[in-house]
Amino acid sequence: MNSKNIILILLAIALVFPLFAGPYFVNVLTTIFVFLALSLSWDMMLRTGQLSFGTAAFFGLGAYASAITVLKLGWNPLFSIVIGGLFAGLISYILGYAVLKLREIYFSITTLAITSVFSVIIRNMSDLTGGAGGATFKSAIFNGDPTKIYYLLLFLTLVVIGISEWFKRSKIHFAINSIRNDEVTAKSSGIDVFKYLLLVFVITSIIQGVIGAVYAQQYAFVEPESTFSLNFLLLPIAMALVGGIYSTNGPIIGAFILGIISEYLKLIIPYGHLIVYGLIIVIVVLYMPSGIYKTVKGKMLTNNGRRESYDHT
Amino acid sequence: MSFSIKENKTILFALAFIIIVGFWQPNVLMDGIQRGSMYAVIALPLALVLGILGVLNLAHGEFLTVGLYISYMFYNRFNLDPLLSIIPVSIILLVFGGLIYLLTVKRVIKEGHLNQLLLTFGISMILLEGVKMIWTTRPRNVFTDYAYASASIGEFSFGTYGLIYLLIAVLVLVFLQLFLKKTRLGQATFAVGQNPKGARIVGINVNLVYLFVFSISIAILGIVGGAMLPRTAIFPAVGSPYSLKSFALAAMAGLGNLNGILFAGIILGIGEAIINAIPGYSGWADLVFFGVLIIVILTRAFREAR
Repeated sequence: MNSKNIILILLAIALVFPLFAGPYFVNVLTTIFVFLALSLSWDMMLRTGQLSFGTAAFFGLGAYASAITVLKLGWNPLFSIVIGGLFAGLISYILGYAVLKLREIYFSITTLAITSVFSVIIRNMSDLTGGAGGATFKSAIFNGDPTKIYYLLLFLTLVVIGISEWFKRSKIHFAINSIRNDEVTAKSSGIDVFKYLLLVFVITSIIQGVIGAVYAQQYAFVEPESTFSLNFLLLPIAMALVGGIYSTNGPIIGAFILGIISEYLKLIIPYGHLIVYGLIIVIVVLYMPSGIYKTVKGKMLTNNGRRESYDHT
Repeated sequence: MSFSIKENKTILFALAFIIIVGFWQPNVLMDGIQRGSMYAVIALPLALVLGILGVLNLAHGEFLTVGLYISYMFYNRFNLDPLLSIIPVSIILLVFGGLIYLLTVKRVIKEGHLNQLLLTFGISMILLEGVKMIWTTRPRNVFTDYAYASASIGEFSFGTYGLIYLLIAVLVLVFLQLFLKKTRLGQATFAVGQNPKGARIVGINVNLVYLFVFSISIAILGIVGGAMLPRTAIFPAVGSPYSLKSFALAAMAGLGNLNGILFAGIILGIGEAIINAIPGYSGWADLVFFGVLIIVILTRAFREAR
């Protein structure tokens, strides 16, 4: 069975899943899509060699932009999701324009800072945002129908996967790879490094903003504490690291593995279950640069003797 | 020590700013100095690790949290005064920092920034969540009478406890300068900071220097933790904002400029104190450091572009 067939089968399962699964499982899979899209967008930025800690920030920004357009302006929720994405994109453009000239530590630290910056701003602009107490909508999108929300997120996730694959096949991919491997060479072969980095940063921020907007509309609720939660930063990173970075498959596999495990972790460790993701990050960085999934799979295959190790001659 | 004309100008501007604030609102100046020297003494060890090891420790603030909680534990279990607990806490953190270095940071020291940042971010999460698991999220307080002592000069009265940070900052600075100039290990540290490859060639045990610098930097956070406890309500995320603030100060002062950090800290502290003093806008004070960070980044980018 080749990989094309596997993809088609998985897609078919995803399409009919809500027809036979209960609302709990539909909800679990919906949440997995949310984190999958975030994880993939984080990885897309990482492929340029820039480590972003801003996923939760743009997620929250999109959520709030969408909430405000619905609550204060009374716009259509679906349209407000577009606004959420565009607003996150706009802010990321301004921010990227300022800091992407220096990159590396400066970029990482700025993206790490903006989560708290945005949440301070939102806490203090209480007339517009509801302040620290947050704001509740009259009703969730699609009147809270889990199946419709599931299909919306499935659609968005497929779009994100599409963007990620398009990145890999277009000339952007080659530009990005050359930036990561050797920036000086990239510059001297005429690649406008700054332009490509800004483009990728804006696109990934739009993705995070859109997903945040959908999440806000799904739960009909925004609040600084939970909307800018560490979850939306830590989990996507851990997922990409589990599945393997610099690829489309990695974050997808990681999102499914950790998405299911996280449901149990919340029950087993009520205080501080995020420690597991911290441990995952440390272990992967130190011991398994190709990701936990690939490392374990590789070990199992060699143990069964199906794959010979190359240095065993 | 020699300053270029440009640096002199910046310092003159800053001094003028401090004097104007002092005449306008002495409380704000006093609050700013106390707050700022606290930031500075927290930022010093981060700058030291960044300068010598080249590693930006994103778990810096969480190590401070650990220091605060251990100091609280000494107070709670053995009724030990927080200021006295500085001694055992800094020793515990010295060992703890050394262990963390040997187990993790040591392995990424030759790798790129990306792995270093990811690793220390992971460590920060482990420490943060570990603190939550052990002590839960309930805020805790310590009461000591000296923490609320005050003094007055003429009409103007102020809380004196915060001046302890200035004292600690100056002591740590003097100690570090003496150490770097006078002792063999200090000179070796200085050499490694200048050029690790060269230092290795002339026979300096670079790994030992790294271990030493990292452990000492965490131990300094233990000192700060004990000193902070009497005036700080502690909760698991209490130290987290300090990683970013410390980096902002280190970037503002410039790499390797340890004295500049005290100065930068006091400027940042006064900036925050001014915003805090404006009625209705005190919530925005947390953004001052971010403004500073962006300004520093833009000036760097501008200078590099030329």
